[in-house]
Amino acid sequence: MTSTLKNAMYRAVMLCVLSASLLMVTAPAGRAQSGSDPQFRVKIDFNRWHDYDELKSDLLRLEEAFPRFLKYSSVGQSYGGRDMMLMTINNPETGPEMGKAAMYIEANIHGNEIQGGEVCLYTVWYLMENYGRIDEVTKLVDERVFYIFPSVNPDGRDYFMDGTGSGSRTGHVPVDQDNDGLFDEDGPNDLNGNGTIEQIRKYVPGEGTHRISHDDYRILERVPAGETGDWVMLGSEGLDDDGDGRVNEDAIGGYDPNRNWGTGWQPNYIQGGAMDYPFQLPESRAVNDFLLSHPNVAGVQSYHNSGGMILRGPGAEWHGEYPAADVRAYDQLGQQGARMLPYYRYIVLWDSLYTVHGGFIDWTNDGIGALSFSNELWNRGQYFNSPDLKRQQQDPDSPIASPRDRYFFDDHLEFGDQYVEWQEFEHPQYGTVEVGGWKKTFGRVPPRFMNEELAHRNMAFTLYQANEMPLMTMAQPSVERMEGGVFRVRVELTNGKITPTILEQAAQNKVVRPDLLTLAGNVEVISAGVVQNKFIPGPSEMIDQKDLTRIMFRNGTPGNTTRVVEYLLRGSGNVTIIYSSVKGGTVEQRFSLR
Amino acid sequence: MHQRMTKRRLALKRLPARVGRLALAAGMLLLLPGFQGSDSQYHSYDDLTAALTRAVRAHSDIARMESLGETIEGRDVWMVEIANRGGTPVEQRPALLIVANLEGNHLVGSELALRTVEYLLDNYDSDPDVKERVDNHAFYVFPRLNPDAAELMWDDIKTGRRTNPKPYDGDNDGRTDEDGPEDLNGDGFITQMRVADPAGQYMIDPDEARLMRKADAAKGESGAYEVYWEGVDNDGDDFYNEDPLGGVDMNRNFQHEYPYYDADAGYHMVSEVESRALMDFVVSHRNIALVLTFGESDNLVTSPASGGALAPAAPIALLSFADESNAGADQVGMFRVPQIRGFGGFGFFMRQAQAASSGGRRPPARRPATTVNSADIDYYSTIGEQYREITGVEQVATTRAPKGAFFEYAYFQFGVPSFSTPGWGLPAAAAPGGGEAGGDPPMRTQLTRTRTAGAGQGPQGARRTGGGGGDVQTDSKVLKWMDEQSVAGFVAWEEFQHPTLGTVEIGGFTPYATANPPVSELTELGESHARFAVYLTSLFADVRIADVQVTNHGGGVFEIKADIENVGFLPTSTSQGVTSRSVAPTMVQLGIDPANLLTGAAKTSFFSRLNGSGTRESYTWVIQGRQGASVELKVRSQKGGSDSATITLR
Repeated sequence: MTSTLKNAMYRAVMLCVLSASLLMVTAPAGRAQSGSDPQFRVKIDFNRWHDYDELKSDLLRLEEAFPRFLKYSSVGQSYGGRDMMLMTINNPETGPEMGKAAMYIEANIHGNEIQGGEVCLYTVWYLMENYGRIDEVTKLVDERVFYIFPSVNPDGRDYFMDGTGSGSRTGHVPVDQDNDGLFDEDGPNDLNGNGTIEQIRKYVPGEGTHRISHDDYRILERVPAGETGDWVMLGSEGLDDDGDGRVNEDAIGGYDPNRNWGTGWQPNYIQGGAMDYPFQLPESRAVNDFLLSHPNVAGVQSYHNSGGMILRGPGAEWHGEYPAADVRAYDQLGQQGARMLPYYRYIVLWDSLYTVHGGFIDWTNDGIGALSFSNELWNRGQYFNSPDLKRQQQDPDSPIASPRDRYFFDDHLEFGDQYVEWQEFEHPQYGTVEVGGWKKTFGRVPPRFMNEELAHRNMAFTLYQANEMPLMTMAQPSVERMEGGVFRVRVELTNGKITPTILEQAAQNKVVRPDLLTLAGNVEVISAGVVQNKFIPGPSEMIDQKDLTRIMFRNGTPGNTTRVVEYLLRGSGNVTIIYSSVKGGTVEQRFSLR
Repeated sequence: MHQRMTKRRLALKRLPARVGRLALAAGMLLLLPGFQGSDSQYHSYDDLTAALTRAVRAHSDIARMESLGETIEGRDVWMVEIANRGGTPVEQRPALLIVANLEGNHLVGSELALRTVEYLLDNYDSDPDVKERVDNHAFYVFPRLNPDAAELMWDDIKTGRRTNPKPYDGDNDGRTDEDGPEDLNGDGFITQMRVADPAGQYMIDPDEARLMRKADAAKGESGAYEVYWEGVDNDGDDFYNEDPLGGVDMNRNFQHEYPYYDADAGYHMVSEVESRALMDFVVSHRNIALVLTFGESDNLVTSPASGGALAPAAPIALLSFADESNAGADQVGMFRVPQIRGFGGFGFFMRQAQAASSGGRRPPARRPATTVNSADIDYYSTIGEQYREITGVEQVATTRAPKGAFFEYAYFQFGVPSFSTPGWGLPAAAAPGGGEAGGDPPMRTQLTRTRTAGAGQGPQGARRTGGGGGDVQTDSKVLKWMDEQSVAGFVAWEEFQHPTLGTVEIGGFTPYATANPPVSELTELGESHARFAVYLTSLFADVRIADVQVTNHGGGVFEIKADIENVGFLPTSTSQGVTSRSVAPTMVQLGIDPANLLTGAAKTSFFSRLNGSGTRESYTWVIQGRQGASVELKVRSQKGGSDSATITLR
């Protein structure tokens, strides 16, 4: 007898779910199986970039195709009036949403860092198309909840996708960057009308700072000191829109949405782009309201680009390293991620990238108590991704040595799609100039044909993290009758996953409700203790709490740990013992005192 | 009295029932010695709303009021604007912001704010100073930022709670607001309990048997008492009153030195309807050039020291001792975390070798300022001196350390001179010091704990160190004042049979009594603080185009020279405003096509800070122009107004 009634019910439900889904997959109507490969129900392109409308309509198509698990909603409106899109994945037949640990996945907080949106879309699609076909996927969807936000900066996304692509890291709340009392009045201008902002250069024979490389006519290189070139660079494509004598000095927005969160927040002069106070922006506020009302969120992934990193906090050195127990969990997950994601490094934000005050994953770790990563998607090392090509790149004469490598790649693998040849333009302030250079889709996002692999590998890491969110189990308690009507009862409480039910940092911050071990029945507790080592006899470590029918575990159950609690009890009849954890689920067993 | 009750009942119809219940206790107020007055009183929410409405209606040409938010219990967060709307648009005039009653128990702040509003409106026609300020400047007044908490002054049982009623699991035990205080002796006040306890750390003060102090083992003293808040242990966890109702103290909810994860600080900075209403108003009114708050911290009675630090807080020790009795409540259930190897576990949060790969050392991140900038200190001293002169307040009763206080935000992050005063004081005669120092500087004792910088600015180290501070000298000073002035603010200790603690004594300081003056002082304090507010608005920076010269060099080339002068007292920005980049630099702009500018200053120039009292900044432009054409010169200062001149080229 190792299973409680609740566990038994859970299994019964699971069987039904499994057979139901098998039926659906094998049902003949409209589901012709072609060869040995599955037919997918919803066709989505993962080799192109989706703007806000396209993302939303794909989410809605998925919701329509998989109504049992998917629920589309909006948690608020962006400054520009777009939905803060949320797709919830939950199997209601395996228990209520709030009773299961949830993985929160978001992307695109920086408007120009778009491909995370496709990773999110891919994740929804992959989990749904493979539910009932791949056991591991089925188990994940049944055991966990997923909250997926494909773009938490939809204004920035559309500005990048549908606009000219420059300066779209920010959101669209107006900021007067040049202190002239006007807001966002002089941004870049698409002078050549090709939908992207390139660079301006001017031909000034013998008087310039740059020259054209002998290696490739497209490469402009800075001339060494003491020499002169034929070109000067005049910044981004644009005009003096407000007639103040300066070009492009007050573009749209002008802040960093990823510095507007509640942990370690610092004002603008310490942390540029922080705005005036945390959660001032409608987008960060909407997301935070969601998080504060979903304490079941136990894991967070925030997709950014680029550089190939699996980042964790803290964002600033003066925060101090996370408690050792938390670091252990982060390291286990992060190091595994580095094995799953070639060219990605697992690093600490402040130590190996830069200092961030008021960043999102600092808030979700410290203020929400969810183990949080941020993947910087895409590493340019992936252009030439074999050891032999890497060796060739070391040879300065190789056609794929830097800086020729990117032109080589564009010429031969993208057929010149990413480069705009320089063209003359009569500029009202600068006279005759040339406009050209790389397109907005070059550099920070992968070549389109490589995006599906990027999406899949990053999803796989995030699903690995989701699987390693806390999950409590409780063995059948052992009951030993002692003299004088006293019973010695031992119960084993196990969290078989890497993530603790409560992060140590969260326990210190008092942001997660303690785990509770409660007894119900005709029972009086004489004492309770934690067994030091169940194989070596000896006294247990006394639990020094007043009410022992409701024991608090303020820092929860650590990862991959079994804790044995021993009670000395008086009483009779059936007793129910319940371990309740906000992020690790609720489990219970029954035993009899006789 | 009868009339007042009727009016209140009518107004209550729109409030939730539980609020109404609180108001029924309003009559209780008259039973409080020290809070009586026939011509004067503390204003409940409805009385305050009525008084503001009355004043604003009578002067609707120069005043308006607006609700900027609705509290949990349905009260309005009022903002009153006083400005003659003719002339320069109000949003472009230097303005004084007054905020009061951020701490729920600091009712005197509301009284001073209300009386300032009334003073300005009543004297507009008769006092030329007032008229000049209202015509050319603006006053924004938030008379009660924490109205739900303030209303508790009229509750049957007075707790003196500072926080709004937002449910908050203060000890994080999974039960919210489950263990608040009880009025065991039925006197209508939550006071303190002292209990003989050989393990206790306190002793009766040998100089004053009503007071307690910490036993000093180094002097051979041993503790014989514990001190608690009055009440029982509702949740049976061996702690007394460790998780009362609420909530957030608004003066703990702002961004400078925010006390992360303190029970009264909210889930995060600016988390409440009330604090957000104020912040949204402030950041959209960059013309606010001075801030005056009435609260439980002080930088006016005692100006910042030469190093820029505020005087140490002087809290009531007895209350701190009661707080301290619950210091361990939020640590119950912390289990040792098994370690795989090395040291660590609970209590040892060591830095450990990075398992994540390291990209090498980064330069240390810049830290925010925490003391008043040396270039700003003299302005604080001058204004503090004037404050003491005008109000006569030279010695405060008690003060608190301003962690997360609004006035600190307003200086350190918004960048304007910003002040806080309790708004009343003990008679100057009782002060041994006086003069520049403004009363006796409270002594630091081992109880006056100051957090490390990390605890204020970073979330780490937010672990409670056990209670606040307390200087027994503050207790005896306040008690002496109460005795001398017959202020009934201390309940004599009396024995009581406590259900779990056995024989205890209940007594000590009553709520509100140490934070608010007797009603009889309100009229005078109100008038003097209103006059201080009027004085403050005489200080604004004031930029003018002082002198313009045009030289015609022939051939359509003209040279324009202009002096910009600050004729006000304050600089166009504090130094901290420049450092924090929160005060926009003053813009000087010549209205020409940039193509016609030949040499000299840019078409649009900026200076970050120009001192007052006639300090000048000169600009020269050489431009191409047409004889007889006119050119517009504009100067625009965020905190010092604007000016323009039309220059004719000849």
